Amino acid sequence: MATASSLPNFNPGFEDNRIRIAWYGLLVLTLLVGAYATYQRIVGGMATTNLTSITPWGAWVAFYIYFIGLSAGAFLVSTLANVFEMEGMEKIDRDALFAAIIAMVVAMLFVWIDLGRMERMYFPFIWRQLTSALSWEVHAYVAYIGVLTAELYFSMRADLVRVSNHASGLRARIAGLLTLGRTSLSESAIQTDRSWLKRIGILGIPLAIFFVHGGTGILFAGVKARAYWNSGLFPVIFVVSALLSGTALVMAVYVLRRKLFEGKPVDLDLLDRLGQLLLGFVLIDAAFTAIEALIGVMSLEGAHLSAWLTIALGKMAWSFWIVMVGLGWVVPLILTSRRSWRRRPMLMVIAGLSVVIGIVGVRFNIVVPPLVNPVMEGLPAGDYLPSLTEWATSFGIVAVGLLIYTLGAEVLPLTPLTEEDNS
Amino acid sequence: MSVDGAPGVPDLDRARMDEMVEAERADPEETLAEVAYSTELGLAMAEDAKRVSSGSLSSESFWATYDEQARAEFGAEYTETPNPAVDKGGSCQTIDEPAADQLSCSVDSMDAVAEQIETPEEGDVRWGMVIDLQKCVGCDSCTVACKAENRTPPGVTYNVVMEEEHGEFPNTTRTNIPRPCMQCEKPSCVQVCPVSATYKMENGIVNIDYDRCIGCRYCMIACPYGARYLDFGGSYEDEVMGAGEVTSPEYGVDRGAREEGESPMANARKCSFCYHRLGRGEEPACVETCIGDARNFGDLNDPDSEVSRMADSTRATQLKEHTGNDPNVYYLK
Repeated sequence: MATASSLPNFNPGFEDNRIRIAWYGLLVLTLLVGAYATYQRIVGGMATTNLTSITPWGAWVAFYIYFIGLSAGAFLVSTLANVFEMEGMEKIDRDALFAAIIAMVVAMLFVWIDLGRMERMYFPFIWRQLTSALSWEVHAYVAYIGVLTAELYFSMRADLVRVSNHASGLRARIAGLLTLGRTSLSESAIQTDRSWLKRIGILGIPLAIFFVHGGTGILFAGVKARAYWNSGLFPVIFVVSALLSGTALVMAVYVLRRKLFEGKPVDLDLLDRLGQLLLGFVLIDAAFTAIEALIGVMSLEGAHLSAWLTIALGKMAWSFWIVMVGLGWVVPLILTSRRSWRRRPMLMVIAGLSVVIGIVGVRFNIVVPPLVNPVMEGLPAGDYLPSLTEWATSFGIVAVGLLIYTLGAEVLPLTPLTEEDNS
Repeated sequence: MSVDGAPGVPDLDRARMDEMVEAERADPEETLAEVAYSTELGLAMAEDAKRVSSGSLSSESFWATYDEQARAEFGAEYTETPNPAVDKGGSCQTIDEPAADQLSCSVDSMDAVAEQIETPEEGDVRWGMVIDLQKCVGCDSCTVACKAENRTPPGVTYNVVMEEEHGEFPNTTRTNIPRPCMQCEKPSCVQVCPVSATYKMENGIVNIDYDRCIGCRYCMIACPYGARYLDFGGSYEDEVMGAGEVTSPEYGVDRGAREEGESPMANARKCSFCYHRLGRGEEPACVETCIGDARNFGDLNDPDSEVSRMADSTRATQLKEHTGNDPNVYYLK
């Protein structure tokens, strides 16, 4: 049992130095390719994309809503620990919050690179349009990043103090700075942290559900020009698939960090619980999507029907059946269906990563199909696949997120230091 | 909007223009010599009328001088002609009120009558277009005229003709539906813009502020008519030398030659009803060029205008009425 004066087992960072070198090498390579592609995009403008005036949104927007969802989902998983005080969840609290912050940073980078005029990115804060969902969203994102950062601070402060007191070198100095000067380890100070964690978490729940991710759903659902998006269920599905992808991400991150960084066994009860959550969210997500499809088909409304036909039978149907249905639903459904499988860490990592990739398919299938069918008969139809520049910049931006995450995981006490090994 | 220095308007100096008008003007003495009435009185009245117009003579003293003389010279023709410049109840009354009523002309001093004449203001006009589908032959000349007028780059086409064929040979029909920007009363594009870069002007035209637009393309997603385009920065320079040098005064603003990285590149663009032409009293290029006279343009707020009568007819319809955008472009079936 750790006490305030000792620093038990704090040795984050990769266990195996060869994996560290390989991983950073891969990240640097991806970043270089991404940087070159970003340079191309800035110099060549929107002409370097495969976007057209018929299909004006593509990969960047799909990735943007994907990472917003990932963030909102991961945050909501973190509230299971610090608001709903679910047993054992505090072990993944900081993983979830840290992943949520980085997902937001990545999402904002995608929004930024998608702007035709990137140098005007601050304009939404200068001029507003009260009726614009996008205008509200950018403000909600800023508030939400504030909530996440405050949550992570209050969740980690006591351990930061311990690290700054007992560790040495750069790591101790960074930890010391991050405490923001609140260095007390008294019971009352820790109690203050805990109650603020809960308060901000309670504030964050509606912010994440209604504004950040529900709002991103409304951004699409409010567009009456596109029948496929223009449905009341749409923002709800956004939130559900966010919960799904967030849970999957947290589960995979928890196991991987535990194995690769700390070399410690995984809490199998916790893993089982996360697996059950994932199973539940897969079922809800699939059910809601089926309802949404039924509404579209039963309404017999041309534009809504044609969007679904494009998704299910068009030339990109493989992304629906293989990526979205296969990786997003079927694989995790099978892997989490048995209790003994839910207690096998590597299987759960596969289930988690499978969902994380599958939801990318969901996001592409939200953005692109309604923009491929023309808004009026007689107008030309779109045909969109991301260009090489779009792919390369996207991987580069994701690599930025992975780099920040890895650096954070190497330095910060993301696992509670007072934890007892009960697995 | 000032016409001075506006692109496309010849820059003539005023003195030269006045000279040209003077040369065309008929000689008043010659003209009056041909009629039976006094040339001298006519010239004197014309001279003093100019002074009334310029404000150096009051209309009261004008009529004090000429009312009796005119009555004597012109007799019944004078007293029974509608003349707005009569002093109500004054000594110089030329027609009485019942006569004025009958002729439905105002009875008041010239100044007061002048004040009653309404000059249309920007806010009173709601520009609208009515396209007669029975007259449209699908020649696409509106599309070409628009491109030439607005100098739109490749991929940006404010005005397209949607062509539909129905039925099987020999029982086929063909519908051509030209589609400019609908200049909606309730524009979805304005609703969704996060930076208020697009807005509705008082005259009903939906405007884009290129200096504010961030290129997020939400307006393009939201437009039910597909009438918005992104300027991807293309140019016809490969085909036509100096293509980028010719300027187009969109929304009345001359942005000069097209330059790399400058707005409107990477901004949303759309038809403006040729706002720059309206400012100098011309119709949009597509209306002017339409070979079948299918396009009609005017003020929908004026109940007597041809467009508002057409827009009110039972043949009139709007595209996608169910979206509630309420376009100011109407079609006659």
